[in-house]
Amino acid sequence: MSTKRILTLARRVIQQLAADRRTVALILIVPLVVMTVAGILIRAESSPISIGIVMNDEGAVIPLGSRAVNLGQNLSDNLGGLNDSFRVEVMDAETARARLDAGDLDAVISLPADFSAQAVQTRELNIPVEYEGSNPMTARLLEGMLTRAAVQTLAGLTLIGGLDLTTPPVHLQATYRYGSADFDTMDYLAPVFIGLFVFLFVFILTSVAFLRERSAGTLERLQATPIRRAEIVTGYMLGFALFALAQSLIILGYTIWGLNVHYTGSLAVIFVVEFLLALMAVNLGIFFSTFARNEFQVVQFIPLVIVTQILLSGALWPIKDMPAWLQPVAWLMPLTHANRALRDVMIKGFDLAQIAPFVLALAAFAAVFVALAAQTVRRGAGA
Amino acid sequence: MAYAVEITDVHKRFKAVHALRGLSLHIERGITYGLLGPNGAGKTTLIRIMLGLLPPDSGEVRVLGTRMPNKAVLRRLGYMPQQAALYDDLTVRQNIEFFAVVGGLNGDVRRAADEAIALVDLSERATSRVRELSGGMKQRCSLACALVHQPEVLLLDEPTVGVDPQLRVQFWQHFRHLNEQGVTLIVSSHVMDEAERCDRLGFIRGGLLLAEGTASELRQRAGTATLEEAFLQFAEEAAAGSQLPVASL
Ligand SMILES: Nc1ncnc2c1ncn2[C@@H]1O[C@H](COP(=O)(O)OP(=O)(O)O)[C@@H](O)[C@H]1O
Ligand SMILES: [Mg+2]
Repeated sequence: MSTKRILTLARRVIQQLAADRRTVALILIVPLVVMTVAGILIRAESSPISIGIVMNDEGAVIPLGSRAVNLGQNLSDNLGGLNDSFRVEVMDAETARARLDAGDLDAVISLPADFSAQAVQTRELNIPVEYEGSNPMTARLLEGMLTRAAVQTLAGLTLIGGLDLTTPPVHLQATYRYGSADFDTMDYLAPVFIGLFVFLFVFILTSVAFLRERSAGTLERLQATPIRRAEIVTGYMLGFALFALAQSLIILGYTIWGLNVHYTGSLAVIFVVEFLLALMAVNLGIFFSTFARNEFQVVQFIPLVIVTQILLSGALWPIKDMPAWLQPVAWLMPLTHANRALRDVMIKGFDLAQIAPFVLALAAFAAVFVALAAQTVRRGAGA
Repeated sequence: MAYAVEITDVHKRFKAVHALRGLSLHIERGITYGLLGPNGAGKTTLIRIMLGLLPPDSGEVRVLGTRMPNKAVLRRLGYMPQQAALYDDLTVRQNIEFFAVVGGLNGDVRRAADEAIALVDLSERATSRVRELSGGMKQRCSLACALVHQPEVLLLDEPTVGVDPQLRVQFWQHFRHLNEQGVTLIVSSHVMDEAERCDRLGFIRGGLLLAEGTASELRQRAGTATLEEAFLQFAEEAAAGSQLPVASL
């Protein structure tokens, strides 16, 4: 071991790094950006769980003491008073259905006319609840809270009189608008992974491939042939899109049959979304390769382009929980639209028409990135 | 329209560097024209401007009668860059066939590739990946890629750098052969002994054309015995005229 040689080598490493201004800037700034975004998201208050109550309960008279009670009303009040993180609204059945379909409500409790009467008669509380079901964590949380509210309701009833002091059983008759009781967190996250991997790998592969094309001089050689910029970009898109679809097929197959993730939608629709994601990633890769002089710099774009996007894309934190000013930024991320589309297809079984807004947004992003990429191809190796 | 290339008063600046300073040059068809000059003279810049890869700041460039940049004319041009610009992960044949199609070859790609491979004597390595080739082999593969689509004008940027003497002789034989078929070759070099083989020469230095003519004309005009001395002579004259320092080769 020669200290002198080691020190010389260390100095060379530092000199090289320092000469690469962009790398230094990225190393210093990117972590701050990523941590700022993560901090905002983690500290953001999650929005309340919304419950719609369809109230048809006509109440009942307790035989002993002839007191009139409306257990449905009591349950509704107790739920609302439980916790700040619940929002309880009473509405008619149609509104409730529409808002549940739209994912606007997390659950609907429909109380029949004889809700109180049944309870008084059978000494059991049967609560019909329909969960929205996309996010299994919300359903679990709701389940616990609902049981607590029901127990409180019954406790009140016991105080009012009549019934014996043992608390009667509470039954949640749960149904799911989307998903089912077997849905777990993996079912919620898998659609996001499926989109993310295609985007990530195609982005990295294209940036590196195009960077090599620039540094090896083959791009300049191509430019000295009759091939057009649009043809180069389209050729890259086609090549990588096919590759991405093969990758999607394997990931999807493994997710569904290997990991037993539930999926209800059509495979074809998933591939449409994956294809658009791949197109975007190819063009974004070509675009960013202009700003990188070497593979090292390409790698540094990953935290900036990918990690920030994952944080903001609603993959882990719902967009409606983000601060109001951040939500438009989130919708500017292509992955946000892809995640929504893929979740809607896989969990809710939506068809292409139902996810059209997200697919159109993805197509628009792809078009913008194609234009950007075609512009950057013009700029040759050293021109 | 006897000219393959007509360059009139071309200027090109890269930030601080004035790479071409009002250079004019006419190259007839069917000959081998040598662009001779030291490193940094502006040879590569000039070739890239001829191909329309770089826009000149001012001046006019016509190739085969058409003002550059022009995509359609590129079909009739072949370019061998100074660095062996090839796809390392592909085989020799895959590279050559790719550039045949992209270059706009009409006709049988396989046959054209076979011919090009034979021409550069790589038949035995046709299925080797470029990554596995020696420097000279890469250079040969690069030449094959430049001429596989049968261009009318070939622009070769220092094609013989790193090529061994025996192969260099072969290259020049090919070039002669191409001339006989009517192909114009524009070859840049900083090696003077190669210059003798060109039909005409342009001495380039500091972005200017110092002198132009056949090898013997240039020697005669400079009154020197060798081309090397002739180049230095012209460089000195130019320096006396402007404030350029004397050439060092
Ligand atoms: N892309 C570029 N950016 C900045 N300077 C350049 C660029 N290309 C060439 N130059 C400069 O222009 C001059 C001529 O370069 P070049 O044409 O490559 O010379 P040659 O090929 O004769 O060696 C050199 O000083 C070189 O540094
Ligand atoms: Mg050069």
